[in-house]
Amino acid sequence: MFVDFFYLLKKAGIPVSPTSFLRLQKALSMGLINSLDDFYTSARTILVKSEKYFDLYDQVFAHQFEGAEFKGPEEIELSEIARALLDEWLKDRKELAEALGVREEDLLKLTPEELLKYFLDRLKEQTEAHHGGNKWIGTGGTSPVGHSGYHPGGMRVGGVSRNKSAVKVAMDRRYRDYSQEGPMTASQIGEALKRLRNMVPFGPKDRVNIDKTIYETMRNAGEIEIVFDRSLKDRLKVILAIDNGGWSMDPYIELVQTLFNYARAQFKDLKTFFFHNTIYDYLWEDPPRHSKPFPVDELVRLDPETRFIVVGDASMAPYELMATDGSIHIEERSGRPSYERLKFIGKTFAHAVWINPKLAEEWPYTRSIHQIREIFPMFELTLDGLEKAVGHMMRKN
Amino acid sequence: MHKETQKKEFTGASKYVLDDELARIVNISMALEMPLLLKGEPGTGKTMLAHAIAEASGMKLIVLNVKSSMKLIDALYQYDTLTRLNDSRFGDSKRDVSNIEEYIRMGKIGQSFVSDQRVVLLIDEIDKADTDFQDDMLDVLDQMEFDIIEIDKTIKAKYRPVIIITSNAKKDLSDPFLGRCNFHHIAFPEPDMMRKIVQVHFSDIDKELLDSVVRTFYRLREIRGIEKKPATRELINWIRALRADADFRVKDLIKGEVPFLGVLFKKSPDYVVAQNAVARFRV
Repeated sequence: MFVDFFYLLKKAGIPVSPTSFLRLQKALSMGLINSLDDFYTSARTILVKSEKYFDLYDQVFAHQFEGAEFKGPEEIELSEIARALLDEWLKDRKELAEALGVREEDLLKLTPEELLKYFLDRLKEQTEAHHGGNKWIGTGGTSPVGHSGYHPGGMRVGGVSRNKSAVKVAMDRRYRDYSQEGPMTASQIGEALKRLRNMVPFGPKDRVNIDKTIYETMRNAGEIEIVFDRSLKDRLKVILAIDNGGWSMDPYIELVQTLFNYARAQFKDLKTFFFHNTIYDYLWEDPPRHSKPFPVDELVRLDPETRFIVVGDASMAPYELMATDGSIHIEERSGRPSYERLKFIGKTFAHAVWINPKLAEEWPYTRSIHQIREIFPMFELTLDGLEKAVGHMMRKN
Repeated sequence: MHKETQKKEFTGASKYVLDDELARIVNISMALEMPLLLKGEPGTGKTMLAHAIAEASGMKLIVLNVKSSMKLIDALYQYDTLTRLNDSRFGDSKRDVSNIEEYIRMGKIGQSFVSDQRVVLLIDEIDKADTDFQDDMLDVLDQMEFDIIEIDKTIKAKYRPVIIITSNAKKDLSDPFLGRCNFHHIAFPEPDMMRKIVQVHFSDIDKELLDSVVRTFYRLREIRGIEKKPATRELINWIRALRADADFRVKDLIKGEVPFLGVLFKKSPDYVVAQNAVARFRV
């Protein structure tokens, strides 16, 4: 029973397992499901394991039991995003008119549907923008349309289903907002960085070491001798070096800020440095990179176990990286190319990574990224990338 | 059917407003004897649900608050070596020192297994612990038994407890873990639902206050750039604060004034953002 439904869910991209399908059958045979409403909720709770797929489930359900048209996920996503962007822009007609290249008066004549269609057409023409608009992390791009991913309306979904049939509920698509990737929030970054810890004994001696207690008691000829230890606390040392110069990093400021804020809250022992494009003889402790220089040579005096995280787009002219006088700031010219300095840092800290807010698919087109990747393992600034970066930094060797 | 009637009774009486969908999911999970994993924003009543089920069905509730450093064994049982050492040295207790079993204390999961009646086991905020914790727990929940190594004894659940697991994480839990649970995502309540929830807590609240409070609350939730949106808990506390203030008039809310903003927004950047936004309400 319902085998088609199961396969349609699978085809739509929901990870459903045969075990859970059998469980649904069990529920059916136990007489727990007596109506389509029951079936809608029960099948969802048993088969679908993440709210990300609730929307897709609603669509498949509506299709299977009511014959509603089932569109491929991509088409839907595009028009949803377009509509959301449009909603946002409609608040400021002038800006919208400018962006679309029409006069404000003409804009007012269009109905929302026409506007959406026009907008979508524009979107299709500009493949670049389409590409940018679809990505949750925002790839910027040069076109006015679809600059960086916009998350429509936060998390608002419908709640009570009291007087509606299941199909109607499904066709409502209450879970639409959940199915798109939201912007990276501090808590998500927190999730990704959670594993980045280094437990060392710290604080008051308040934990009983049982093995030692028994041993010492024996040595004491049975007179009890309780041995206390410090409990383990996370004392990971982290250096965060952020590229905060130049227009090429501008689109990522917010993202990097989120990362930085989280890091500041999480790590007790965090040093932050700033640089422009790449690292020469100095890192800067102050964001304007002016009053507090920190010589790169001094880094050797820090704990080599420190996790060194560079955040930057690694995009620059090749000479900035390779030439002996590469720096665009004249006072920084010392005769050693940045490439050598980066190598030096890579050698000093065994656990160093480069986190790049540019998406990995764009990396092959920038030469300096290739060269930097020879020195540092590079990861993109997405949840996935962060997780991989953390995995890399926590490796024992 | 029996459960259903019990549930209906308690929706009216207790401080928990249950919607039909969730009631169905709870019932089917109980019938299938599967753990139910609940996700959702903080303040949507994930933890309260377990309390409500326990209350409604007259079962005892055992709460396991997961902590980040927790290992599974802590949740199962503890071997109290120190007491045993002490007893063996001084011998002034009634316990039999040679019998290790007397020094085994059950953890929360253990307690739910050895209980003489069916209980509700709430595993709260499982995402706090490492993924290892979740993976280790799989077998225990699957087989409904675990071994006490020290005395080589297997503890089997006398009655399969009703297991409710909550998680705040945006990230998904591990696949094998999800495979063994039923899943539900509790959405943030709609204004209508919220009115009911408020009424359950303040039965004597007048309609004008209720309407304007709820309206203002949802308006505040829509302010852009807030990291932690106020949830049900904050709303309840806020209403409590408003009612305690003798100078407060409902008209102030309608005019766009929002007193006690700090009750709703607890992070200082959020508070500042909200304050600025509220200033614009009045215009």
